[in-house]
Formats: sequence, C-alpha cells, structure tokens
Amino acid sequence: MCAEEKLRKLAGLQTLETATKALGFTRQATLNTLSKLKKEGYVTVKGGGKQKRLYRITLRKQRKRSPGMYDILNKYSPMKLAIWTDHQVHGPYGPEDALIDAIKTKKFRPILASLRLFNHIKDWKKVYRLAKENDCWQQVGALYEVARIYFRVKKMPSYYTVPTTNKWKKLTQLKRKNFPHIAKKWHVYIPFNEHDLKEIK
Amino acid sequence: MITHEDQLALFTLISKSITNNISCYAFDGTAMMFYGYKDETKDIDILFENEKSRQDFINVLEQLQYSETSPLGIYLPKKAKNKYAPLMYKRDESRFDLFVKKIFQTIISPRMKEDLFSVHEFKSEKTLTVNVLKKEHIVLLKAVTERDKDFEDILTIIKKEKTFDWQYFIDEVVWQFNHGNDWALLDVEKMLLELKKYTFIEKKYFTQLYQAHGKKPQLKK
Repeated sequence: MCAEEKLRKLAGLQTLETATKALGFTRQATLNTLSKLKKEGYVTVKGGGKQKRLYRITLRKQRKRSPGMYDILNKYSPMKLAIWTDHQVHGPYGPEDALIDAIKTKKFRPILASLRLFNHIKDWKKVYRLAKENDCWQQVGALYEVARIYFRVKKMPSYYTVPTTNKWKKLTQLKRKNFPHIAKKWHVYIPFNEHDLKEIK
Repeated sequence: MITHEDQLALFTLISKSITNNISCYAFDGTAMMFYGYKDETKDIDILFENEKSRQDFINVLEQLQYSETSPLGIYLPKKAKNKYAPLMYKRDESRFDLFVKKIFQTIISPRMKEDLFSVHEFKSEKTLTVNVLKKEHIVLLKAVTERDKDFEDILTIIKKEKTFDWQYFIDEVVWQFNHGNDWALLDVEKMLLELKKYTFIEKKYFTQLYQAHGKKPQLKK
C-alpha cells in the first residue's frame, strides 16, 4: 500500500485502534506507519499520558503555525472564535497588536473578545502608536472603559485617557449608543450591551 | 527550487528591507506551499495591487542580487507579450514572477479578496502582508497561466482535496469572463476537458461555461 493510499484511508481524526482497523495492519505496523507519516508532516498528535492519543491526519502537509490575531484572542478570551481566514504573523506579535487588528476587522465578535486583552497589555505606548497609525484611538479608549466596568483591568496611564477628536466613529456597522456616558466621552458607537458581555465573563 | 522554509526566510528578509507596508497576493506554487500541497516550487508568484508596491519589492530583490529575466520561454508567446505579463527576477534556481493589477487578463475579484485561505504578515519595521488565495482561485489562475507542470499541480490539488467547490469555481470563471477576461472560459474549458480523464466533473459545469459564452452545450469526447 503506497503512502497516498494509506493517507486516504486514514484522513481525519483517528486513535491507534481506529487506524489499525482502517489499515488492517497489526498494532505495531500501524504505529510505524503513523510515525513515518508524522515525520513527513501529514500527522499531528494530541493527548497522551492519561488522555487518549488522537492522531489528526490530512492529505496535505500540516504546516507549523505562527500565532496570529485569532490565536491571541482565543488564548485570553473565554469566548472562543472560529477561524475563517487563517491569520499568522511571522515576527513579534502580542496582545497590543491583536487588539488593534481586532478593531480593524470591524466585526462584532473579535471586538467583543478583544475586551479581555486589556488586562494583558504591558506596552501602552505601543498601543497608542499603533492606534494612531490606524486612526482608532477613540475605539481603544471606549473599549478600555467598557472592559473596566466588567473585568479587572490594568490601569491605562493617565496621559492617554483624554479623547483626541470629536468625530463620531463606529466599531462595527451598528450605530447604537450603549453605555451612553462612555459613548459620549469617546464619541464611539458601542455595539454590545450588558447581555453580550456575559459571553466573555 | 525554493522550499517552504526558504520561502518564509525570503519573505522575512524582504520585510526587513522594505520602506513601506506592502500587501500582495500569493497564488500558484507559493500558495500551494502555504497550503501544504507541495514542498518546493520553481517560482514565487505574487500579485500587487499597484505599481508602487511592486517597485518597492523589486528594489529589495535587487539588493538581494536578483536580476531581471524574460518571460519568453516560460510563458506561451501570446501570454509573454501581454500587457499584464509579469516582471521576472531570477537568482540561481529561484525566481520571482511579479504581476501587477492583473494576471494576464484575470483580475482580483471581490470574492478573491474576501475569501482568502490565509493571511501571513511578516513584521519588521514595516509589514509585508502575503494574502494566500483559496484553492479554487489557485486552480483558476493555474489554468490561465498554462506553464509547464501547471496541470500537474491542478491534479495534485483536485486529488488531495475532498471539498473542492466546483460551483464556486465556475461562478468565478464566469465572473472573470463577464469582466473582460476572454481567455478564462477557453483556458478553463481546455483544463476541465483534460481533467475529466482523471476525475469526475458533472456535465452541468460545462453547460454553465458554454451558456456563459453564448454557445450551445457541446461536449467534446
């Protein structure tokens, strides 16, 4: 049986037992096959120890990933996001960059999840610079103040807490004025309400 | 030949020398390597949205000792002489094919921009963003470029993909035809007829192509 044929039979999620059954090999021969395919890059393994070992087998090679916006958001937010477009960053990338990228998407769920990033921001200077480059400092300020109401968030240096422009801006396409005192202060339409915020509590 | 690791190293190196943020689209062998369909490619094919970005990219390639070469001999003569033929830069065994605005007559459609497979950002002082197109678009562009081994690559994609969306593919071909890409239907029909020898393609897709061209459905044997 050639490697491609084996892959076709195994493609999907397998345990050692199901793989043995699919291939019709002995347990040891299956282990050898999986090991060989893993070296070639077609198999990744999860579990082990007390948990059942799961083999994820694909017909194309599984490339090593560099973390991107969704990885950072899913790491810190209890509300996990499904990845539609695989975003990877090769180079330095942290919560500061992910926050700005989430705002740039103008999508409801990434922006909601990004509220959880504020407690992990160490470099406010970088956030301010990136936000200014992308013309979204008002949105950052408004999100920060909403986050402070619901979660423990590290304090933003007072130098940055002053809104800089008066033009009203939207976070998503929704033009709602939830949290009116924050919306009025930063001139930002805040799309989510208290109920939405329960998702990330 | 360029491997996936070489490709990442090259993009990282380029991102360190660019003077502006550059965004581009990867298709062909480059995209196939990002997908994991293959391990090495002869050339890195990139499409830029404007001439300025391409020029910035070329400046960096020249710093890396790449020199310009002719598309004749690699592309069919009618395509090599096209207004939108790529600028090609070569060093040893590696080559960059740099398109701007169009890949011959094929433009980047709104769906191509929206439905990307992945976005790779190479961050340094400036950022080089490489948008990798979806497999359906890669097949379309491979059918259009018609180089050596392009058909082999198409076959690889079709064989390795359980979920190739034929309707999405045909819709895109028809969109391209309706937006001035006269070659799209002919090149894709030729490719599909060849592909029929290896895989099952429903008749309705051919019918849609012929209807788009305004001629009666006629399947060749």
